[in-house]
Amino acid sequence: MTATTSTELRQPLPRRPLTGPRWQVGPVAARPYAWPYDGRVDTAHLAVICIDWQVDFCGEGGYVDRMGYDIGLTRAGLPATARLLEHARRTGMTVIHTREGHAGDLGDLPANKRWRSAQIGAEIGSDGPCGRILVRGEPGWEIVPEVAPVPGEFIVDKPGKGAFYATNLDLLLRTNQITHLVLSGITTDVCVHTTMREANDRGYECLILSDCTGATDPSNHRAALHMVTMQGGVFGAVAESGDVIFATRPANDQVEAAR
Amino acid sequence: MSEIVTVVADPNPFRFDPARTALVLIDMQRDFVEPGGFGETLGNDVSVLQAVVPPLQAVLADARARGLMVIHTREGHLPDLSDCPPAKLHRGAPSLRIGDPGPRGRILVRGEIGHDIIDDLAPLPDELVVDKPGKGSFYATGLHEHLARHGITSLIVTGVTTEVCVHTTVREANDRGYECLVLSDCVGSYFPEFQRIALEMISAQGGIFGWVAPSRAYLAALRTSSGEVVTDRPFAVSDS
Repeated sequence: MTATTSTELRQPLPRRPLTGPRWQVGPVAARPYAWPYDGRVDTAHLAVICIDWQVDFCGEGGYVDRMGYDIGLTRAGLPATARLLEHARRTGMTVIHTREGHAGDLGDLPANKRWRSAQIGAEIGSDGPCGRILVRGEPGWEIVPEVAPVPGEFIVDKPGKGAFYATNLDLLLRTNQITHLVLSGITTDVCVHTTMREANDRGYECLILSDCTGATDPSNHRAALHMVTMQGGVFGAVAESGDVIFATRPANDQVEAAR
Repeated sequence: MSEIVTVVADPNPFRFDPARTALVLIDMQRDFVEPGGFGETLGNDVSVLQAVVPPLQAVLADARARGLMVIHTREGHLPDLSDCPPAKLHRGAPSLRIGDPGPRGRILVRGEIGHDIIDDLAPLPDELVVDKPGKGSFYATGLHEHLARHGITSLIVTGVTTEVCVHTTVREANDRGYECLVLSDCVGSYFPEFQRIALEMISAQGGIFGWVAPSRAYLAALRTSSGEVVTDRPFAVSDS
């Protein structure tokens, strides 16, 4: 599965059929409010974002493993995410995967990011058991097989923690009329939170899934989820994947016809 | 020609060139910081944010005296709310929504008394004030272009609240390649637990988003900028 090349996966999304079953999500039993804010969303306007499920972050010999963290913590959300993806594909949700990584010549690697990674013994671009750390095209940079993309799903390559800066994600979402995002991935407090904050400022209605995320530090995972729920949902809301699956129902055709 | 300044910081010394550095004051607005404002009407204890003001005044005065670039930000929306995403406007069930009449004018609306920066930290005419529609200071503001035009590569970050607008801005700045030093006693949160963990997150994993130091370490470094100040024991975040 990981052998799939990014070229194959960068094809335009298939146009959705105008007939056939349509699905809606919501209200989801989320905290601090029933998600989404506008009651429900057609799956045609909803995307599941799978953030950085890469070998470097949750595989043996990858970047996080090399830094000495327990990859059991970053792998914890994989089974629930795999189930969510199966559900998403069956109900017409858009699926987008992101990968953090840099060009082979490291031309898009900020000097301070490189320096800091070297300080903790895992310099970006250096050789590791899974190839050059965080370099595009290397085995460690690939998405792990449990949640691998299938043809027709988009992959966004990002140089930073956020999935919006210096990527085509915003264009991709607007072009495909996506207004609502369900967030999965690693790590909760770093790349997932940065992406959720960027998405929220851009007006996307976000839901982060507590069982489809994970962090190198369990208390950071909990704190990051807690921060989302403050002030009436300052960045969106928090739920579990089962809550989303439970809240997915066949769409009301009259609502669709009016759209 | 300016000297490179070295600040004792977490997780390791922070080095910067004052000529290529800006002091950023995030959202020190009446509605968030002052008693009787929007923040307090939501049930928050604004005294914890008030504690940020005296050290921040000292840092601001120092920056002005040295000629560091100073940038202020304000969160707010146009009076017709055309730049307010529906999800932000309608989410949850707050007692007051954006645009509603509040104790110091319409909530989070540009031009209202409550939206402006507190008198103690009022911008000077030549200081940039960035009006932002979101939590981050980079999205939809032109801040990145402004910093690039002036050759700024490092940011000294202050303001409120630590885990929301300060964190979002530091994350945006970090992805854009800026080196950020967050002054631990010049940022504030309504929630002490979030203040602590948000500062820890910045310097975790070798400084994944940047550096953290108390303002006295930063000011001391500037005063002795002719030589390197490196000690074996970094100031702990809790020192502030």
